[in-house]
Amino acid sequence: MASITDHVVEGLKYPFNDIKKLLGCGVLFALMSAISVFISAKSLDIFRFTVHITENTNSSLSHIPFSQLPTGDIYLVAGLVIVSFIITLFIFGYQYNVVKFSIDKKSDLPGFGDILGMLVNGIKYFIVILAYSIIPLAVFAGGIALTGDASIVIAIAVISALLFLIADFLLIMALNNMVAHDSIKKAFDFSEITGNISNLGWGKYIGIIIFTIIVYMIIMVAVSFILSMITGVFIAAVSNQALAVSLFIAIIQGLFVDSYGTIFFNRVCGSIYRESIK
Amino acid sequence: MILDIYKDALEYSAKDWKTLVILGVICLFSFLLLPVFLVTGYNYRVINTAVHGVINGRDPLPGFDDVIGMFVDGVKFVIVQLVYLLVPVIVFIIFAVIAGQLTGIASSALMVVGCIITFALFVVACLMQQMGICHMAHNEGAFTKAFAVGEIKEVIDEIGWFSCIATYLGLVIITVVIAIVVTAIIYGIFTVFGISGAVLGADPSGIFVLGVLVNSLITMFIVGPYLSIFNARSIGLLYTMQI
Repeated sequence: MASITDHVVEGLKYPFNDIKKLLGCGVLFALMSAISVFISAKSLDIFRFTVHITENTNSSLSHIPFSQLPTGDIYLVAGLVIVSFIITLFIFGYQYNVVKFSIDKKSDLPGFGDILGMLVNGIKYFIVILAYSIIPLAVFAGGIALTGDASIVIAIAVISALLFLIADFLLIMALNNMVAHDSIKKAFDFSEITGNISNLGWGKYIGIIIFTIIVYMIIMVAVSFILSMITGVFIAAVSNQALAVSLFIAIIQGLFVDSYGTIFFNRVCGSIYRESIK
Repeated sequence: MILDIYKDALEYSAKDWKTLVILGVICLFSFLLLPVFLVTGYNYRVINTAVHGVINGRDPLPGFDDVIGMFVDGVKFVIVQLVYLLVPVIVFIIFAVIAGQLTGIASSALMVVGCIITFALFVVACLMQQMGICHMAHNEGAFTKAFAVGEIKEVIDEIGWFSCIATYLGLVIITVVIAIVVTAIIYGIFTVFGISGAVLGADPSGIFVLGVLVNSLITMFIVGPYLSIFNARSIGLLYTMQI
């Protein structure tokens, strides 16, 4: 490989190796998007209802008895949030498998045979992401809780954003390291992680990740521009069916676009790891 | 030597009109954002062919296979251009901010100096950016080589700063002249049509609309792609001029 950007080219082509499995992953994303459309529609309903009550009874929001709230809708939203969280775990598990296949240099896409293993991998993936977000989150929450001053809050926000950035860059290599050794401990083996990165070169590592993100963003922006145009045309053509149209577009986006982007990104992450242990 | 580059590039870009039309069609869809990078990726391919070839060599025009690779090359191309152009912009902003704090003569004087420095930096950045892309292509597309300022400066030193800038200026002039001449010829033809039509008693407005349409079609499908290939080929050949 002459240039490290060749991995990006390879990653962009990779999802086309097995369209069926790409669509299988897309089904998960489509479910996610459909559910999130429902959640936002339902939350809007609840919000509207609550505002309606507060206006009619002239009482403040905290004084409304729970029985007056649309409990059915609230339970529905809560249930949907839990379902979408479980689907997210499955998606994480699939990402784990994609990184694994990439590190093993397999050219086909991971299948869906081992559902339970996927869930377990997804939980591992989620725990690592959560662990890496704890420090910046703690700085942010703790800082705001300790000081109420507005000028310091901005400084705290900037600091925690920087921490998030650093954590995210380390996170990619940490996830790779975990997947490669198939042990969650390796995700927190900082000497090995930083060793891998400096083996590749910090500039090269950060550069390739930023480059991959730029390519990802360009694809996403372009596709969502096209999709939003289609949405506009549909909404103009079919009157009074805005929810159905946006549901349809969300499913299309999840089925083809989000799955493609995610598989592409994780494939490149795995390739970066392969490059770094050379 | 410079004239040889132009001659080769002019002939090279006219080799295959089908390529020009395909590029024109891609340009037509560039409002969808993704095709923009295909066009720049194709230019990168032309540069890539040129830096590995010789002047008046018999290189064919690159094909349109491996679209994804072309897209990623296009993204690299755009990033290199943006990063280099960022330098003069930042310098200009710094000068503007400092001048904004001062008053009277000092402010205007500083702004004049700032503009001159920015312009000089802009010219250098344009040159470095083009040579950076060539240097990247020469090193099999290694992205870091596009920003290896020291190596690129050596390359330009070997070619000679004066001939680089002269070639670049010549490119701009040739591009503008070709674009203007083509437009002038088309409008000339349609003016003749219009006048003779009017003399014979026909309404010339239809002919006028047709003229505008033909002009924009030819500019988009033939002249625009032709000039972009011409520019890329010239820059790539300029890179091979180093001793």
